[in-house]
Amino acid sequence: MSDTLHKKSFFRKYLFSTDHKVIGMQYTITGLFMAAVGGFLAYVFRYNLAYPGDHIPLFGELGAQQYNSFVTCHGMIMVFWVAMPILLAGFGNFLIPTMIGTDDMAFPILNMMSFWIFLLSTIVLLASFFVPGGAFGGGWTMYPPLSAGGYTNPNPDFFKAFFSGASLMILAVALEFVAMLMGGINFLVTTINKRTKGMTPFRIPLVVWFINIATIIFMFSVGPLVAGAVMLLFDITVGTGFYDPARGGDPVLFQHLFWFFGHPEVYVLLLPAVGAIGEILSVFSRKPLFAYKTIIYLALLSAILSVVVWAHHQFVAGIDPRMATFFSVGTIIISIPFAGIFLSYMATLWGGSIRFTVPMMWALGFIGTFLVGGLTGLFLGSNAFDIYAHDTYFVVAHFHYTLFPVVFFGFFAAFYFWFPKFVGKNLNPALGKIHFWCTTVFFNGTFFLLFFNGLGGQHRRINDFSLFSNVVKEPYITFEKIATISAICLILSQFIFLYNFVTSAVRGKKAVKNPWDANTIEWVADSPPPHGNFNPYPEVFRGPYDYSLPGEESDFIPQNVPHTNENIPVLKVKLSVS
Amino acid sequence: MKIFPENVSTYGQEIDNLFWMTFGFVMVAFVISLFVLFYPLVKNHHSKVKKATYFTGESKKHFRWITIALVILAMSDFIILFAEHDTWERIENIPTGNDLHVGITGRQWNWIFTYPGPDGKINTADDVVIDEQNSELHIPVNKNVIFELRAKEVLHSLFIVNTRLKQDCIPGRMNTRWVNITKEGTYDISCAEICGVMHSKMRNFLVVESQEKFDQYVKTLYEKNAPATSSSNNR
Repeated sequence: MSDTLHKKSFFRKYLFSTDHKVIGMQYTITGLFMAAVGGFLAYVFRYNLAYPGDHIPLFGELGAQQYNSFVTCHGMIMVFWVAMPILLAGFGNFLIPTMIGTDDMAFPILNMMSFWIFLLSTIVLLASFFVPGGAFGGGWTMYPPLSAGGYTNPNPDFFKAFFSGASLMILAVALEFVAMLMGGINFLVTTINKRTKGMTPFRIPLVVWFINIATIIFMFSVGPLVAGAVMLLFDITVGTGFYDPARGGDPVLFQHLFWFFGHPEVYVLLLPAVGAIGEILSVFSRKPLFAYKTIIYLALLSAILSVVVWAHHQFVAGIDPRMATFFSVGTIIISIPFAGIFLSYMATLWGGSIRFTVPMMWALGFIGTFLVGGLTGLFLGSNAFDIYAHDTYFVVAHFHYTLFPVVFFGFFAAFYFWFPKFVGKNLNPALGKIHFWCTTVFFNGTFFLLFFNGLGGQHRRINDFSLFSNVVKEPYITFEKIATISAICLILSQFIFLYNFVTSAVRGKKAVKNPWDANTIEWVADSPPPHGNFNPYPEVFRGPYDYSLPGEESDFIPQNVPHTNENIPVLKVKLSVS
Repeated sequence: MKIFPENVSTYGQEIDNLFWMTFGFVMVAFVISLFVLFYPLVKNHHSKVKKATYFTGESKKHFRWITIALVILAMSDFIILFAEHDTWERIENIPTGNDLHVGITGRQWNWIFTYPGPDGKINTADDVVIDEQNSELHIPVNKNVIFELRAKEVLHSLFIVNTRLKQDCIPGRMNTRWVNITKEGTYDISCAEICGVMHSKMRNFLVVESQEKFDQYVKTLYEKNAPATSSSNNR
C-alpha cells in the first residue's frame, strides 16, 4: 500500500478524504476552531462579570439577553463542538486504526460522512447567532418551558419558530449526535474486526479500550436525549405540548431525558482523555501501566454506574426525596472506580524513571487539576449540601475543574505526544513547557476563587449581581476580577500553542519513527504514517507496556518484537529498533 | 474571611457543618494524593533512577495499597452519606403541625407572595396576593413557615442564601418547603434557575419579624386588599 497507488487530487486527499488520519485532523481542527469561538464568548461574559456594564474591548456592550445566549452557547460549544470532536472523534480516528495495526476504519465512507454531517451541525449552530432574536439563551440544558418560549403560543408559525435560536440549537445537537453515532459504530466495528494478527483484547492499548467504552456509553445513553430533543423541537415548531403542564405534559420529564444522557456524557468525554494520559504516564515512567487489566474492569464498572447517577442534577427539582437518596448513593459510589483508576496511574509513577517531557507535564497537570474537580464532586454528591450549592458558582468551578483538565490538558498531552507521529515534525519543547505553565497557572487563577464565590451564595447565569447584597461585597468582587484577568491570560496563552503548532508543522525538524521510545505499534509506522499506515502490517507478540523488563538491555520492547522463546516470556534480546 | 454568609435558619448550620465534615475528608484525601503524586516525581527523576522497577500491578499483592485506599474511601463515602441523610430528611420532611402556609409563585420576573386570607386557609378565594417588583414577604421569627412553591410560565428556583434553602418551582406542580428563621432581619430572595432576560433582576425580600409585628402587617394587608370582607384577624 504505497502512496503511488493512491494518487488522489488535492480535493480528494484533504477535503473529501476517507483516510482516517485526515478525518481525525479535520475533526481536531474544527474542534479547535470552535474552542476559539467558545473561548471568545467566555472572554466577553467574564469581562462583563468583572466590570458589569463596561464597554468590552473587541466586542462592545453586552446586553442581558446576549449574556444569556453567550453563556448558553459557551457551554454548548465547549461540550458538543470542542470536547466531542476532539476527544472522541479526533482521538478515535487517529489512534484506533494505528494502535490496533490496520489501514483504516471499517467503513471509511461512513467515516467521511460523519465528519461532513458534523461540519453541517457546526454551521447550523453558528447560523443560530444570526437569526432574529439571536442564539438561544436559556442555559445549555435547554430546559422547557423556557426553551419552548413558555408555551405562550400554542399554534406557532412553523417557519418563524423553526428559524429561532432554540430550534436551530436543538437541530445542531441532533445532527452532531448523528455524526458521532456514525463515528462510534466505526470505532466499535474497527476495534472488534480489524485488529492486526496477534492483537488480542488484552494487548490493545488502554486508550483504545477507553475510546470504545466511551462510545458504548454514548450509544446507550443518547437515545433518550434524541427523543427528548425531538419532542422539544415539535413543541417549539408545531405546537405539541409534551412538556407543557397546561396540556398534560411535564417539564421535569425533559430534565430526566436530558440528564440520562447528560451525565454519562461526562464519562464519554473523560475516558478518552484518561486513556491517553495512561499511555503517556507509562511511556515516561518507563514502567508498565500499573494494573492495566484492573483499570479496564474499573472503567467498565464506572460505565455501568454512570447510568444511575443522572438525577443528582435534579436534587432540588422536586423529585421524590427517596429517589434522590438513591442517586446520591450512586453518585458517591462512582467515585470509587475512578479513584481506583487514578491511584493506579499514580502507582505507575512509583519506582519509575521519570522523564519530564512536555506530554508528561500535561499528563501530571491533568491528574493534579482533575483531583480538585473530582474531590469537590464529593460535596455536591451529598444531596443535602447540594440544596445550597446547586446552581451556584461552586458547581461552575467544580465542573470546570473536571472538564477543563479532561478536554484541554487531555488534548494537549495527547497533542504533544502524538504530533511527531501524525504530522511528522517535532514541536518546540521550550514553547510547550511555557504553554503548560501559563495554562496551569491561569486556569487555576480563573476557577479556584470561584469556589469561594459559590459558597458565598453567588448563583449562576446572572449578568449583574448588583441587586444581591450577599455577594456585592469584598472579597467576591475582587475574586471576580482576578478570575476575569486570569481567563484573559489563559486565552492569550493559547497563542503560544498556536504559534508552536503552525511553525512546527511548517518548519519543524523531521520527526523520527519512535521519538519517545514507546511500545505501542503506531510508533512502528512511518512519521507521518502513509495512506494505509503500515507496510507490511505488523504482527503483535506482546502487551503494550513491556517497559524496563528485567534482564533486558533496552528499557522498551515494542509490541511487534517477538519473544525469542515462546515458553519463557522474559529473555535477553538485543534490540534494534529505529 | 467567612466562607459562608450568615445563617439564620434552624437547619442551615447543619448544611454548613456537612460542608466542613466533607471538607475534612477531602483535604486528607487531597494531601495524601498530592504526596503520592509528587513523591515519585522528585525521588524517581530519570537522572537519579536510570532503570525503572518492573511490576505490572496485576496481582492482589501489588494492588493491595489501592484496595486499602478504596476501602477507606468507600467508608468515608458512607459516613458522608449517613451524615447528610439526616439533614436531607429534616429539610425534605415538611412539619405537619398547624403552621403558617405561604404561597410563593415564580413569574417572569418577580416572586408572587400569597398569604392566607382572614379565614386562615391558603388557596381560598380570600387569599391576599402581592405581585410586584421588590415586594417583601413577611414571616414571623422562630416559627415554622411552610412555603407552597409554584411557577407561572417557566422554571424558577427559590433561593434564600441566608437560610441555605433552594427549591425549584415548576409549572403545573406544587413543591413544599419549610423554614424556621431564628433572626429578625431582611434577606434576599433570588431565583437560581435561568428564567429569561431579566433573570438577574429577579429579587424580592424576605422580612423576618416578631409575631406582633407580623400580625400587624397582615392586618394592614387585609384592610388594604380586602375592604369588602370583615377585617377580623384570626391568626
